[in-house]
Amino acid sequence: MAKTIEVTVWATGVVQDKEGRDVCLVLTEAANQEGKFTQAFDNYVDLPDRINVQVRKYARISDAEIENKFEYENHRPNIIGVTEATIMKGINVCKGLQEGGFLVINTTKDPEALLKYVPEKERKKLKAVATIDAIGIAPEQLIDYSGAEGAEDVSAIGAGLGSVMAGAIAAVSGIVKKESILAAAANRTAAKRGYDEVKIKVLK
Amino acid sequence: MKERYKKYTVDIPEDMKIPYACIVESPKVNGEQPQMLTGGWRIYRPVVDHDKCVLCKSCILACPDATVLLVDGGQKIGFNLDYCKGCGLCTWVCPVNAIDRVPELDFEDGVPFQDALFLLPHVERLYAD
Amino acid sequence: MAERTGTVKFLTGLGAVATALKMADIDVASSYPIRPYTGAMMMLSQMAARGELDLEFVHGEGEHGQLGIAHGASAAGARAFTGSSGVGVTYAMETYSPISGGRCPVQMLIGNRTLDPPGDFGSEHTDALSTRDQGWLMGWAHTPQEAFDNTLMFYRIGEDARVSLPQMNCQDGYFITHIPAKVVIPSQEEVNKFLPPLNFPDALDPLNPLGHGPQLFPGQGHVLEADRVNAMMGAFPVIDEVVNAFNAQFGTDYAPFVEQYRCEDAEYVLFINGGHAYTAKFAVNHMREKGMKIGLVRPRWIRPWATDVVADILSKFKAVGVVETNNAFGAARQAGILTLEVATSLYQCDKKPVLTAFMGGLGGEVIRLDEFYYMGDVLKKVAAEGKADRTAYWIGFHNV
Repeated sequence: MAKTIEVTVWATGVVQDKEGRDVCLVLTEAANQEGKFTQAFDNYVDLPDRINVQVRKYARISDAEIENKFEYENHRPNIIGVTEATIMKGINVCKGLQEGGFLVINTTKDPEALLKYVPEKERKKLKAVATIDAIGIAPEQLIDYSGAEGAEDVSAIGAGLGSVMAGAIAAVSGIVKKESILAAAANRTAAKRGYDEVKIKVLK
Repeated sequence: MKERYKKYTVDIPEDMKIPYACIVESPKVNGEQPQMLTGGWRIYRPVVDHDKCVLCKSCILACPDATVLLVDGGQKIGFNLDYCKGCGLCTWVCPVNAIDRVPELDFEDGVPFQDALFLLPHVERLYAD
Repeated sequence: MAERTGTVKFLTGLGAVATALKMADIDVASSYPIRPYTGAMMMLSQMAARGELDLEFVHGEGEHGQLGIAHGASAAGARAFTGSSGVGVTYAMETYSPISGGRCPVQMLIGNRTLDPPGDFGSEHTDALSTRDQGWLMGWAHTPQEAFDNTLMFYRIGEDARVSLPQMNCQDGYFITHIPAKVVIPSQEEVNKFLPPLNFPDALDPLNPLGHGPQLFPGQGHVLEADRVNAMMGAFPVIDEVVNAFNAQFGTDYAPFVEQYRCEDAEYVLFINGGHAYTAKFAVNHMREKGMKIGLVRPRWIRPWATDVVADILSKFKAVGVVETNNAFGAARQAGILTLEVATSLYQCDKKPVLTAFMGGLGGEVIRLDEFYYMGDVLKKVAAEGKADRTAYWIGFHNV
């Protein structure tokens, strides 16, 4: 079976419903352009209709058709994105992380400042942790439900902070090329700044 | 007779058993439901300036989750931070502006840390190496 | 075979159905929200609001009223669409028989959801299958592409004057409704060529008044039932004709009734309905790589049930495992609803395979690859022993 890269993005319920999904959609659209097999999907196990509840959005990127397409969750993610840093204080966002994984957080703080919220077991598996001030770059957090419930998004994909996060994730992990991210994101400048301005701390 | 029908029933392993008909006890301690901690949702924490506070208790009435409490023998306003979602309603209703909203990350403690949401023992193995 | 051409888009099953409905130029949609089918109605309402589709979008006060609206619209000659999921499907129970009895070709999307309890958002087929005997045509899609194609095919079959019956266009909640996949969308001209406008001869019309569904005389009831049976069973040649016409026009290779996947020299097969067939096909490939002669059989229609086709296909094998994604509490063999249909179909055969069932996907659980491998092992064992210990093996219990 071909290797599938799994991305889990943690966001706040309702408020970042679109932005969290956009991170995944921009990444998968970029990977589509590179000819990969992809899947971006929402988590409903988290009961995401509650404002500010911790919710997960997922992406899978693979060289071959994705065989575990219907699994509800990424149990063994390779990359974790966090669009609201406070989430990390209450939950182990890196649960199940694979060896050599990456953690990318939206915050103004330095990467070291947030590592303390990652338990020892998962911290040992991290290859790098990175932070990006996504809200500083793209302050828009659009609350739009048109793309929820399995319908097509009416609003542009990656007009807000989703592009910044997707750019940062691409820069840290190298899963997709910079050009692909820029082509996939509605807000090119935001994606470019995310890619260029991400602060990376390599752990091993 | 019993043996004859046994082949149709299902043996449920011990660690997968659920309460009969999903009937569970109501929470008894301060209305707390330890399987549904919501303190982790909080982005801004309510902080009371006790000098300004006039103990009008508007915040107690306003809190949708009953997380505002009277502490110190009824002399002070306190919060149950395990469940406070940081919605900020207490700040909005306070007539003397005694409740500030402070970024949760400025504090070291105060949020119950969960390893995972809704994790059952027989599902745990999916997360293992 | 012609290559499939058109615009390629990433769509969920709901997006695919909504796109197909727009191309089918439906006249009336009646909605009531319930996950997971809601997204299709969200998209339709947006299309109507933007003026892309000349649509009467009516919101019901509940599923019962919602189906009533679709019934009325269809009786008035409109191409009507409605949909629901889970307990919404069962709440509208009363309305199904009047719609099929009135021979109104309404199409209903069902995004399968587990019934309460636990009411999981994920797919279990018990909701739609509980309505299977109400005179509606019923079939499942196992990819968003098939959901798109089924929408067009179902309308053409249901609206055919030889059939004139409502259709349940089912897809697994979450697995198909919410996970996007590539969908090839043909041009509007191609769709127009395939699906002519609805011509409902007995449409309600104030200038030419008609009575729909009046009281019958004693002694006519069984005749009315026989009439509907003839329509349902008369759908077989129409289905065959329409699916073949679709294949010829769009370059697809849909089986009219029952899909066979890698069954050429198979000794064991999984009989599986709906979305989980997607994962099952990968599992079959992997088991084949390991030398096991296994295949997959997937019905495209649950109503009408193709008794003879199913019997012809399944009687060839040593062992058949019906993968049930539904539960029939206390039914014969205590498995699911499909077991009843499959076992009954095989009764007429001289040579019968060993038959058992696998209870998987209940409560909306996913069926993983390793769980299909387990099913393969069980089939091998029961075929070797010539009988099965159990009528149903439960999947996802780690003690089995």
